[in-house]
Amino acid sequence: MHATTLAQAESPARNRTTSYLSALAPLGAVATAALIFAVFVSLYGHDPIKVFTYIFEGGFGSGFAWQDTLSRAAPLILVGLAVAIPAQAGMVVIGGEGALVAGGLAAAIVTLPFAGYPALPMQLLMLVAGVLFGAVWFGLVGALRQWRGLNETISSLLLVYIALAIFHQLVEGVLRDPASLDKPSTHPIDAGYMLPAIPGTYIHIGLLIAVGMAVLAFVFIRFTTWGFALRVVGGSDRVARMIGLKVDRWIIGAAAAGGGMAGLAGAIEVAAVQGTANSSLHVGYGYSGILVAFLSRHHPLAVIPVAILIGGIQASGSLLQRRLGLPDATVLVLQGIIFVCVLVGDAVIRNHKENGRA
Amino acid sequence: MDPTSIGWLTLPLAILAGAIRVSTPFIFVSLGECITEKSGRINLGLEGNLVLGAMAAYAVSYLTGSPWLGVLVAGIAGMLFGTLHGLLCSVRRVNDTAIGISLMVLGTGLAFFWGKPFIEPKAPSLPTIGLGFWSDIPQIRSALEINALFFLGIALAFALQVVFTRTGWGLMLRTVGDSEDAARALGFKVRTVRILATSAGGFLAGVGGSFLSLSYPGSWSEGLSSGQGIMAVALVIFARWNPIRALWASLLFGGAGAIGPALQGMGVTGFYYLFNAAPYFLTLVIMIASTSRAQPFTDAPGELSLHR
Amino acid sequence: MRAITLDLVGMTKRFGSLTALDAVSLKVRAGSVHALLGENGAGKSTLVKCLVGFHQPDDGSILVDGKPQAIATPKDADTLGIGMVYQHFTLVPSMTVAENLVASQARLPAYIDWGANLARLRSLLSTMPFHIPLDVRASQLSAGEKQKAELIKQLYLGRRLLILDEPTSVLTPDEAKEVLGFVRQLTDTGALSVILITHKFDEVTRYADDVTILRKGAACRTGRVQDLSTTEMAEAMIGHALERKDARTRTATGTAPLLSIERLTAIGDIGLPAVKEVSLKVHRSEIVGVAGVSGNGQKELVEALMGQRERTGRIEVSGSEFSGSRRQLADLGVYGLPQEPLRNACVPRMSLKENMALRNFDRPPIARSVFVDWKALAAQAVALVGKFRVKASGLDAEMNTLSGGNVQRAVLARELTNDVRVLIASNPTFGLDFKACEETHDRIVNARNNGAAVLLLSEDLDELFDLADRIVVMSEGSLVYEVETASATKQIVGQHMAGAH
Repeated sequence: MHATTLAQAESPARNRTTSYLSALAPLGAVATAALIFAVFVSLYGHDPIKVFTYIFEGGFGSGFAWQDTLSRAAPLILVGLAVAIPAQAGMVVIGGEGALVAGGLAAAIVTLPFAGYPALPMQLLMLVAGVLFGAVWFGLVGALRQWRGLNETISSLLLVYIALAIFHQLVEGVLRDPASLDKPSTHPIDAGYMLPAIPGTYIHIGLLIAVGMAVLAFVFIRFTTWGFALRVVGGSDRVARMIGLKVDRWIIGAAAAGGGMAGLAGAIEVAAVQGTANSSLHVGYGYSGILVAFLSRHHPLAVIPVAILIGGIQASGSLLQRRLGLPDATVLVLQGIIFVCVLVGDAVIRNHKENGRA
Repeated sequence: MDPTSIGWLTLPLAILAGAIRVSTPFIFVSLGECITEKSGRINLGLEGNLVLGAMAAYAVSYLTGSPWLGVLVAGIAGMLFGTLHGLLCSVRRVNDTAIGISLMVLGTGLAFFWGKPFIEPKAPSLPTIGLGFWSDIPQIRSALEINALFFLGIALAFALQVVFTRTGWGLMLRTVGDSEDAARALGFKVRTVRILATSAGGFLAGVGGSFLSLSYPGSWSEGLSSGQGIMAVALVIFARWNPIRALWASLLFGGAGAIGPALQGMGVTGFYYLFNAAPYFLTLVIMIASTSRAQPFTDAPGELSLHR
Repeated sequence: MRAITLDLVGMTKRFGSLTALDAVSLKVRAGSVHALLGENGAGKSTLVKCLVGFHQPDDGSILVDGKPQAIATPKDADTLGIGMVYQHFTLVPSMTVAENLVASQARLPAYIDWGANLARLRSLLSTMPFHIPLDVRASQLSAGEKQKAELIKQLYLGRRLLILDEPTSVLTPDEAKEVLGFVRQLTDTGALSVILITHKFDEVTRYADDVTILRKGAACRTGRVQDLSTTEMAEAMIGHALERKDARTRTATGTAPLLSIERLTAIGDIGLPAVKEVSLKVHRSEIVGVAGVSGNGQKELVEALMGQRERTGRIEVSGSEFSGSRRQLADLGVYGLPQEPLRNACVPRMSLKENMALRNFDRPPIARSVFVDWKALAAQAVALVGKFRVKASGLDAEMNTLSGGNVQRAVLARELTNDVRVLIASNPTFGLDFKACEETHDRIVNARNNGAAVLLLSEDLDELFDLADRIVVMSEGSLVYEVETASATKQIVGQHMAGAH
């Protein structure tokens, strides 16, 4: 209808090709990465087909594999959102590991004074505590950026080390359960307060919470005026100010929301898997979240399948080691290659789009 | 009085010795990052170069028995990886920060993959220079057993300052980093200069890594690095892109990082983890104090993407 | 004679389907100033970029002193003694003037002996009619000093042909006279030939010997300056006869101040006050023009007014204190037309239709409670795009895929459709072609006639004299002079811009 008012500067056919291309780009990038990885493992005398088969088997080949993959996917979705949500406001926050341990520790201790209460309020309390602590941790990153001009990538990384130091100091000091001998831990939470499994499976309910959060984030960003405002702030802070948006609040809020997601991931790990806070809490989920977010191009819904894919690849590491004698770092190499290929592929597509006009 | 007891001097001496040991890798990585950032690119992935360098140095030292050859190979490994970063970032519209993160993942992955067989064996370490020969006190002697790489790092900082201010290459590097328009108008090859600068930065990060595996802590393991490569970026901002200040900053960091182990050596273990994080606290606090909302990064090269 | 004779024959350059240069031929006589006139996009910069080795012509030849030369890189141009002073300066901000000069040498020395170099530079400077400090960072020079430093750099490099790209756009009239006078002196002695890109006709008539006018990539007129009238040149540039400019009707200026600024102070990028206690009132149906040389606080003033920069002081709109919140912007009708609209008024990576809704996405009919009604949003965009004839490949096209003129029309549509009571415009026609310029001017006057108070900041004195009812001059962060346009002269305004007060 408005075709008459909009002159066709570009041919529609070309337009369509570009949009197909940008949809296919991540797949192409992953395929390229798989090819490079295949060459890499063949150099070490391994049959790439076999390697891929084991990766598939270890990640998705059996009920047990799926259970492992999906249990990993739950925190990965959340730490992916921890990068993807601040990215909507134009930030590259990559210290999710810090917010994760902050949230995990908070969840581990918040119910300790309360024994014998009904489970549901205690479970909610743990999750909320995790969200709050994670939010404060990242909120600090946003505030430092807005108030002191401190680059959020750098400050969030520094805060990871600081968070880990505080975490260990507390867990091995005042909060330590004297009964935890070889692995210093906090007092275990009441077994009755642990998050249940999804009915009929062995996968904890954290997966559903994570998926719910991703959907919520998507709806917020895509359909609400707040999401619109957030994207304006992320797109141009000058213009956001010109149209009267309170940029500081949006930036700090987006950072805090991301931190809340990472904190929630920590809380779920504690409340559904570990039952206590100890060094098993930081196994690098925070860093994997960066990969998940970039692979899904910071799209909250795309985070879900990408987290499952990465969870599956990570889950397959031990199988590769058992069957082929490949070091468990093999899956790290694969992730690194995928990461690089996706970034470069994205840039190539955007250049192609750019050249399309003129 | 027991001649081997040095009483209250134990702590400052331990911190001094620790500062020298801990700061050496920082000196190399931060000088490397300094070169890269002067060209207008940021390499957040030096952690990858560092770990790769540590692995390569250890493996070569073990296989050939020559730790210095290990240092050289570590540098070359870091350089190749730096060149990869430089080439990838030359694709238009690639985000150098993100590429850095991805190469950090890839670099550590490759290092762990290739380094797996070298976790067990013991490789020859780098020799040290005993500057404590004048003293009979063993603590002083051992504190002043200083690795030659430390002196190399100090010399390098001053050399870089001369290169930046008094050579044609230095002016070209700074031009490229500060104003791409100016560089193009003068006919400088912006892309080539940046790739070379990233390679050089990678080389130094690799050498810094070799210190970790061949001197202190002195063995190869997957938990070897505690983020020295990541810290380099913060250090360079902190040093406001000046190699001499980067040297001082590294020493300061080393000193802060040595407090925890030094206290532990004296039997004070109360806040071990917090003291270990002292360098990170210190950086954060100093960066908060030295930046401001209106002018976040004075002296930053104009083409740097940190510079908003 | 050192100066170069330059012949360009049949220069053609295509970018994809676009022919940026269409068989352009011209001759620069040794020791002459050859003016290049043309609108934005007429091909002036493409032509000179071929001369300094940034572009390769698809066809045509360059003859230097009668000999054909291939200029593949800036180094080749350098070897031939051809240099250019760019409109956007190419001094390296963090380096000192001396470092900049040394870095520009064709053969960079391996080791720099600063003692010897500084001595050589000082003796060169002593032959110049103006002074530049050698040990000051380029970022700390004023625009005028930068321009002079660029000129010194080119002479230091021993140029025999110099291209000047709108060299006076950041200078006061007196500084312009000084710089171009010196250039003229050099050409007269036969040391230099000059190509002068400009859009100021008085510079052409005063300083140039020959002129070539480009339109749509072709040289449509070329000849001696003395043989052409300014009207002929202007018509050749635009491609049709000039309309009478002062045909705009104007309503009477009101007496009620709509925008009132009191003691506004804002800190600049380097931490010093860039706007110092500025007080100003703009009335209903009035355009107040702010004149000034670039870099005297205008940018900071606009940013402070638009909420992009922290400030102290009081701003009132229609009598109530203005803080710049979304509610106030809408209720009080405050709108803006910044320069470089793609960067300063649009979110480049968001779509056209989203950009059209930046002012009202959170109000009905586009907002339904907290949700965006995408249908209503698209409908609004269709209406605005149709009314202001914005051309794009679709409503979902990213803003940064639109051409400059269409971005400007989209911004005009968004900012000027509603009930505008205060309009802040800053160099609103910077970089636009003639048609988009005229349209923007008409719309601004239109807003004024409908009762808006307009604050118009411009570096283009002609634009201010053409549009403003009253002119104030900004110099070093303060308002130093005020005059009704009817009784103003460019010369006196120019003197105040230069700081003579």
